[in-house]
Amino acid sequence: MCASLSKTWSATDREREKRQVSVEIHRRRFTVDDYYRMADVGILKKADRVELIEGEVVTMSPNGPRHAACVGRAGQALTLRAVDSAIIRIHGPVRLTEQTEPEPDLAVLRPKADFYASGHPGPTDILLIVEVADSSLDYDRKVKTRVYAESGIREYWVADLPNGVVFRYTDARDGTYQTLRESRRGERIAPELLAGVLISVEDLLGD
Amino acid sequence: MAVEMCRRRFSVDDYHRMVGAGILCESERVELIRGEVVPMTPIGPRHNGCVNRASAAFASAVAKKAIVQTQGSVRLSFFDEPEPDLVLLRPKADFYISAHPHPADILLIVEIADSTLAYDSRIKARLYAESGVPEYWLADVAAGIVARYTDPVDGGYRDVHTFRRGAMIAPALLPDVRIAVEDLVGD
Repeated sequence: MCASLSKTWSATDREREKRQVSVEIHRRRFTVDDYYRMADVGILKKADRVELIEGEVVTMSPNGPRHAACVGRAGQALTLRAVDSAIIRIHGPVRLTEQTEPEPDLAVLRPKADFYASGHPGPTDILLIVEVADSSLDYDRKVKTRVYAESGIREYWVADLPNGVVFRYTDARDGTYQTLRESRRGERIAPELLAGVLISVEDLLGD
Repeated sequence: MAVEMCRRRFSVDDYHRMVGAGILCESERVELIRGEVVPMTPIGPRHNGCVNRASAAFASAVAKKAIVQTQGSVRLSFFDEPEPDLVLLRPKADFYISAHPHPADILLIVEIADSTLAYDSRIKARLYAESGVPEYWLADVAAGIVARYTDPVDGGYRDVHTFRRGAMIAPALLPDVRIAVEDLVGD
């Protein structure tokens, strides 16, 4: 006795399967300790450009020359203006939680005598984070904005190269930034916590 | 969220090194699926009992024609090492002590699905078909049916048949091994 229904899946059925919204996968999350251990045992190598975001090891896309030039120019401008009032860190790790350690393009940090040799900066050490967005705009604006707001990063700027605008997020509350301002070429901007460190939008976007 | 992140994919070697390094505990129930470490849902007694019953039915039906592996690993690719509920493997003298089974060793995979049905039927069916697993049975305990997938081609199984209680199913590669649907989904 064979109680069966049979069906042959056509190519259309298979295509429809592939297009359907992907099923929610719960991934095993890793801590910063796990992350460093992966590097110790050679699972992560120097060539792996990765960050730890909410327990997931995420690859960073390679930076093109335009991106790198903007980061260099902005870093130099901030360093010159900040002098002793802040430490400027480029592509350096910041430890936001037990499961989140990104490497933002630029981080403006409270001065510290040992330059954070004893431990990566945490949320209260950070005055401003800047990400330069060329191809990564969606990720920097959506994912990272939420992650930075949730950790209480006081101010976050996204330099949107394709559209020629700098988005400035402030007032982190309840996991989101409450205030968003847009700045364009011709304007000069400063972080709220370092009002004297004025740089031009061109320093971030290029000419 | 809608924005896709590029997650670093881990290979089976990375995965085993994580256990060696103490990043993953031996006792953690996880699988490596498409380079991602995915926790497995805790086993409830209904699932456990179904696997026990299915295992007993297969063991008596296959005799020495196949090895019956339950809740052990199979290495499907550089990035995939799942732990299916039940696998029928080609006989091997060392019972796969030297290395986890590869796709060529696999005659049949059976998954018994309680709450994990959506995940099993979409992601795992595709994974098994892509790896060339010749046949896959998905036992839906809640609905009391078994879906039998055969003929893997282009990342999917070309044929799927559904069986209800009262039916007997046999794998294509072992046509004498006849299993009652009740032995997979319960009475």
